[in-house]
Amino acid sequence: MSASETTAASRSGIAGLVERFPFLPALVILIVLLALNGWFQPNSLGFRAITGLISTYLALMMLAVAQTYVVYSGDVDLSVGAILSLVNCAIVVLMERWGGGGGAVLAACAVGILTGLACGLLNGVVVAVLRLQAIVATFATSILFTGMALYVLPVAGTPAPTVYWRTYGGRFFEIPFVFYVVAALAIVLAIAVRARLTTQMLAVGDDAFKAFQSGLPVTAIRLKGYVLCGLFSALAALCITGDTASGDPLVGGAMTLYSVAAVVLGGTALSGGRGSVGGSVLGALIIGLISSFVFYVGTPSQWQNLVQGLAILLALMLGILVTRRVRA
Amino acid sequence: MAHLSIRGARKAYGATIALSRGDFDLKEGEVHVLIGSNGSGKSTLCKIVAGSVRPDAGEVLINGKPVSIDGPRAARGLGIATFYQELSLAAHRTVAENIGLPELPAKGGIFVDRDRLKAVAERYISRFADVAGKGFSADTRVEHLREDQRQLVEIMKTLATEAPILIFDEPTSSLDRSQVERFFDVLRELKAQGRGIVFISHRMDEIFAIGDRVTVIRDGETVATSLISQTDPSAIIRQMVGEQGELAAADGAPPAAAAESSETVLAVTGLGGRGFANVSFEVGRGEIVGFGGLHGQGQSAVLRSIFGVSPASQGTIRLKGEERTIRSPREAIRNGLAYVSGDRGRDGVVHGRPILENVTPIHFLRNKLSVVRPGSLRERAAKPLSALKTRFAGYDQPVNALSGGNQQKIVIARWLIDRPDVLLLDDPTKGIDLQAKADLFALIRSLAAEGMGIVLYSSEDAELLANADRILVFNGGSVSRELKGADRTRYNLYHAAYEAA
Repeated sequence: MSASETTAASRSGIAGLVERFPFLPALVILIVLLALNGWFQPNSLGFRAITGLISTYLALMMLAVAQTYVVYSGDVDLSVGAILSLVNCAIVVLMERWGGGGGAVLAACAVGILTGLACGLLNGVVVAVLRLQAIVATFATSILFTGMALYVLPVAGTPAPTVYWRTYGGRFFEIPFVFYVVAALAIVLAIAVRARLTTQMLAVGDDAFKAFQSGLPVTAIRLKGYVLCGLFSALAALCITGDTASGDPLVGGAMTLYSVAAVVLGGTALSGGRGSVGGSVLGALIIGLISSFVFYVGTPSQWQNLVQGLAILLALMLGILVTRRVRA
Repeated sequence: MAHLSIRGARKAYGATIALSRGDFDLKEGEVHVLIGSNGSGKSTLCKIVAGSVRPDAGEVLINGKPVSIDGPRAARGLGIATFYQELSLAAHRTVAENIGLPELPAKGGIFVDRDRLKAVAERYISRFADVAGKGFSADTRVEHLREDQRQLVEIMKTLATEAPILIFDEPTSSLDRSQVERFFDVLRELKAQGRGIVFISHRMDEIFAIGDRVTVIRDGETVATSLISQTDPSAIIRQMVGEQGELAAADGAPPAAAAESSETVLAVTGLGGRGFANVSFEVGRGEIVGFGGLHGQGQSAVLRSIFGVSPASQGTIRLKGEERTIRSPREAIRNGLAYVSGDRGRDGVVHGRPILENVTPIHFLRNKLSVVRPGSLRERAAKPLSALKTRFAGYDQPVNALSGGNQQKIVIARWLIDRPDVLLLDDPTKGIDLQAKADLFALIRSLAAEGMGIVLYSSEDAELLANADRILVFNGGSVSRELKGADRTRYNLYHAAYEAA
């Protein structure tokens, strides 16, 4: 009958694809960046370079996933970096104290994950149950977590046991360990997309009050989002410990906002209700590739931050322009 | 199945008593109509049953046992499902996900059972498949649906709960005739299954088509419950209004007579854009031009494009003889246009802000004010508000505390501090009670008499017939017929609206 109907019917082609797969613009940007990197430094597309890129940015990928799970329901978590720091310090100190053997490493990792879950639970209680503003409340808990990290490990530098970082940087059946982690992450995320909780979180992000009226347990759903966020922040800490092979109470501070940037680059709406965890992983990789690109083109060191900032801005604009055009 | 009754329910918000004595009784297998003007307390009564409002006093009984309903989840547990007037849909989710959202079917405890979700959705979609219109399927995202299709999704979502007690708060306000009829067929089936259905509507014909009993509520009190078969519309309206005199004006008033050769304030030629094409008409000073026809035939789109919300791609707009290009509402307001939408939540009300701020934004814009004294602003706001008989406690009260009808009066009042030349009304009485409607049309006619040019789109034919000097009937995005003078009959209006539709 009218034009509004044709918009409903014409959801095909690129518009329909981007709607179903919100990470598509990010994927295109990622491929362009890979091509650019290869153009300036053919070696950067080699197996060794890619392995290095992934081992360095696996932590940010995990952190971006963590952030996505709260952004889904329209929340945000500014303490993910601090959780990462705390877990990093906690496991490094525990591994050292328990002798650095294989059993000690596993036990410490388990404690680290529990710590992440506890931090996420605290955030969830503060934001979802007590209903404090997410930005301010998680900023406050981030200071708390950083304080705890500094208590556990006042000075950076305690090394992780050799067995830990050798495993992280090592190979099994000729394939680097980090590739197994990426594969496992991909499988977990693919399964998680089908979880009821994912749909419920996205519905809450669309409109929390309407979700409440629909009979959804909104508080519990937001709480679970924060707990998931804590879990993936802890996993990110395990990765960063493998990459840096040491404990540092301030390692995660700068990563928090990178994780938010990765989420947005990946096509997830900060207002909630729309997005994908896969996109966030791509977003983290984009940030990684931009850094290496800045390095490969030989930017003088004093210009590196400026160029990196401009490049991220450009990538954000491209992604948003594409998405906006498609949704118009 | 269940028998619901509410006894002496009372609810006050601060000093305002929303409901002073709410009594209601819902038997198995009946459609019980709840009717009352806005602010009468029927929404509050519904919210008590839906669990979103807790009563200060009184009791809710299900099958004779007192229950306390602590929230929408608790209500669902007790077998109560609610259709929300403002809809409870997640825009970025699909139709199927929205239908199943309250109870997502689970597989293995944590996963969504997509097959079952789809099967459940299809079961309800199939009931409305031939009336839902194009682009409606289980996989469509709600954001791409038309307003009437969204309303259908909310209906399906409510039905999918399979609850024994169903509350429908104005479920038909955006539906067209065939959709309403299908919905009523479904309701009759549910009734036969022994479900209890609460039905709220402002459309008298629907009430008499589907209702078994009707309860009238006025000023927070239940006035009477009667069998539909033993009452008639005027009796119900008398109970609603309380005094009979005021109503006659709403129904039987002669249309405002416009001087034939008056100055043209708005002239539109060959206007085309998204959803309409080749629309031309003129509005004279003091004239009320009606837009009629079935729902969604381009009437709103034309009004919104004139106001610059989504500017037209073709055609010209002349204001008082001068051609203007209007690219944004801001320009439209500067040029003396005013627009009032029936969708106050989206287009009208500034949520959560005080009444005073809601009455004055246009005044600020047109006079380029940056600093004002609240006192003088109040004086300016007082006149239009009292002209509209707006009921409110104070200027600092948040606008959301008012009923729908009073909110709409606030929105209209904001245009009346500085008079516009042309007033565009886009189904302004959607979801408003009869009393507020009567106030509104009395005002519209007096504005026209003072020389304003008015374009009125209404989804209710009676409003058009009673108020418009001329009626342009829209069909498929363009004007198919113009009805003037004695041609303005219900028969002609239906005929033009339905032909080739």
